[in-house]
Amino acid sequence: MEQKHILHLYWRAGFGLKPKELIDLSKYSREQIVDDLFEKSKDIVPLEKDLSYFDYYTSKDVRNDKKKRQELNQKDRENTKILNTIWLKRIATTKRVLRERMTLFWANHFVCKDTPTRHVLAYNTILRTHALGNFREFVKAISKEPSMIRFLNLSQNRKNSPNENFSRELLELFTLGEGNYSEKDIKECARAFTGYHYNFEGGFRFIQLWHDYNEKTFLGKSGNFDGDDIIDIILEQKQCARYICEKVYSYFVNEELDEDNVRKMTDIFYQDYNIEGLMRFVFMSDWFYEKKNIGTKIKSPVDLIVGIQRIVPVYFTKNNELFRLQSLLDQYLLFPPNVAGWKGGKNWITTNSLMLRIKLPSMLLEKESYSYQYKGNLKNLKVVTVKNKYQEKLTVYVDWKTYKENVKKLSLKVLTNTLVLCDINGGTKQYISSFGKRPSKKNLVKLMSLPEYQMC
Amino acid sequence: MKRREFIRNSSLATSALLIPNFLKVFENADPSKIGHKKLVIVHLKGGNDGLNTIVPVTNDIYYRSRPKIGIKKSNTLKLNDELGFNENLKPLKELYDKGYLSIINNVGYPNPSRSHFTSSEIWQTASDHENILDTGWVGRYLDHYGKKPYNAIHVDDHLSLALRGASLNGIAVKNSRQLYMSLQESDFNEILSHYSKDHLTEHNLGYLYQTMIDAKSSAKYLYDTALRSKLSNNYPKNSILANQLKVIGQFINSRLDTSVYYASLSGFDTHSAQKSRHNKLLTDYSEALLTFVEDLKLNNTFKDTLILTFTEFGRRVKQNYSDGTDHGAANNLFIVGNNLKRAGLYNLPADLKDLDDNGDLKYEIDFREVYATIIDKWLNVDDRRILNRSFSKLNFI
Repeated sequence: MEQKHILHLYWRAGFGLKPKELIDLSKYSREQIVDDLFEKSKDIVPLEKDLSYFDYYTSKDVRNDKKKRQELNQKDRENTKILNTIWLKRIATTKRVLRERMTLFWANHFVCKDTPTRHVLAYNTILRTHALGNFREFVKAISKEPSMIRFLNLSQNRKNSPNENFSRELLELFTLGEGNYSEKDIKECARAFTGYHYNFEGGFRFIQLWHDYNEKTFLGKSGNFDGDDIIDIILEQKQCARYICEKVYSYFVNEELDEDNVRKMTDIFYQDYNIEGLMRFVFMSDWFYEKKNIGTKIKSPVDLIVGIQRIVPVYFTKNNELFRLQSLLDQYLLFPPNVAGWKGGKNWITTNSLMLRIKLPSMLLEKESYSYQYKGNLKNLKVVTVKNKYQEKLTVYVDWKTYKENVKKLSLKVLTNTLVLCDINGGTKQYISSFGKRPSKKNLVKLMSLPEYQMC
Repeated sequence: MKRREFIRNSSLATSALLIPNFLKVFENADPSKIGHKKLVIVHLKGGNDGLNTIVPVTNDIYYRSRPKIGIKKSNTLKLNDELGFNENLKPLKELYDKGYLSIINNVGYPNPSRSHFTSSEIWQTASDHENILDTGWVGRYLDHYGKKPYNAIHVDDHLSLALRGASLNGIAVKNSRQLYMSLQESDFNEILSHYSKDHLTEHNLGYLYQTMIDAKSSAKYLYDTALRSKLSNNYPKNSILANQLKVIGQFINSRLDTSVYYASLSGFDTHSAQKSRHNKLLTDYSEALLTFVEDLKLNNTFKDTLILTFTEFGRRVKQNYSDGTDHGAANNLFIVGNNLKRAGLYNLPADLKDLDDNGDLKYEIDFREVYATIIDKWLNVDDRRILNRSFSKLNFI
């Protein structure tokens, strides 16, 4: 398989490749490489987070004792932030890249934010469990997760006082897309989801007393529907398959939808709502590897950070710096901005975020950095090298030894081809050629500072 | 790099070299440009307790609801027979006495959110609670009327949602030098000096290069233009808000082509042991504000500046068991300016007998009516294009 295509696949389905991995893979066929990608992601391994602090609290304590409640809340807040670092580390180091990529995708589809760490962890586990599974089971599982029940007020949705928040988002954001249902459908849907609740430890609880057992009419069908029935009815609509395929296409292939390709995907997905089948179809299709799809996506902040870490292992030693970095770059994992999630694409880019993105490799990888400045007047211009005194450095440990092994005996050209997917502009090519031939630390930083490196 | 190429790429630098900036100061202050009228927005983050800010000193319900944290009449500065400023607001009262302050009571919106996050978002995007937009209201002002990112500046590291538009975002800077220095700290300039135009035709990559070019020109613009005025030395030290307003003062006094500035002060989420913390915050706020106004007056820019102070919600009338207050709903809001149409109390304070089901103040004025008034009467553009619908206008400017 062509190297550029492998790298494209690995950026969209994973988080890039090391130079030698790319070389190794290039002797295999597309089918072999795609098979291998799925094979490696077969196992479902939840994030590992110690939750023993929670053992000291009982539901009674928390209900009756305000102090204890606040204490647990505080601990949860801290621990959920720690879970963020655990997840980032997982993304940066896992071999099951496709599952991780899919988990990230679904986290921005079934968007949810919550504080209790046990719930957040369980939610993340559900995302990775179903990430390549069956979409029907996935939606049903999501509707019963405590974090979701809390986030979209399902527990306040009761027979005599329905709360439509979850129903609206279920239809608008999770399954059908705006305009494919009526306001009446939302109301009826909410009635079917009455009685959903959760227990203190994190299990689903159905409270019969709160459930509306009367007949509902939803998307043209009538019956004594419960939540699962509603999800089945939604999935009967081909629009649901189409909506998901559009979202998959715009995330994995191109923001600009191609009618034909989306239709082909929809036909396949609608048959059984099998996510793995859909993704396999996408990665095996010739159109996935068309030039217009390669290197044309703006990396998310997570892609950028993790992509660097996968080339050079970088370990953050101060969690707060990692939190701040994520929030400055506008993607703080587990803390989405709203129920619609991160919009991605050009929305990642502001003047400030782009300047930080360009500076990031240097902040991470260089102890000292230099810049070129022009001195003198128009008649006598000189370029001088100046040491940067003020640049904020991140407190990280950089494993240069591993990097050196990774690029041993390789040229800068090979490194460039691994790092930059999009076409490099003539002027920039010239600039890169001035770097020399060695994949030195300095040159690595220079390559990663290019706007071309922001693309995948 | 070829010399010619260099000259082209650094044309910004060279033109600035040829004409010293201080000669251009007033030449640039063209009233028809965007940014002739300035709006400064101050967000008191966490939900300021409006009742302990402007105290209803004759209201029994207030004192009954707040046995431990209610503020005694003797500890207030008289506003009128029924109201007093928290005594830590002496500088604010000074502005009030001069007719520079308008207090708008009971500002809020229907179906109020009591989440900091959601309610801040509602205020920043000027949305209904039911349908929160993903662009900020200042961002949409930029979309329709802005030209450059620096037309709206947030004095911070991170750009507030309020200043994010669909096609144009504002810019976040902590001082005039920050962006410029930041450019020197990476290969940024080096990379830009090599780009050839064909970069810009590529869809997303072109957008990155275009943003870099804009960033460079914005950085240069801020660095050069802000030199026209110095940072004032009069501001209180070690005050987060004062530091931000000091920078905004420098920017405004330099006649920067910026129409909206954004600043914020955190810490108003006073759930427990509220009194001392709240007092300190009010002191910081009002001292910073007064110094800012004086700074502007000294430079003859106060007449063109309007300052809006808001907070995402008020606090519950009844105090809680930790001598603090929980999240509430409607609240008062401050407008500071030179030629206010209705200085002082804009409308009557809340009726504490008529609270909502949570025991919170009911809103009487939608905050978007305040925005619409400012957009229409101060920024002089069509508020409906920015707020996506028509709101009735108030009468404070």
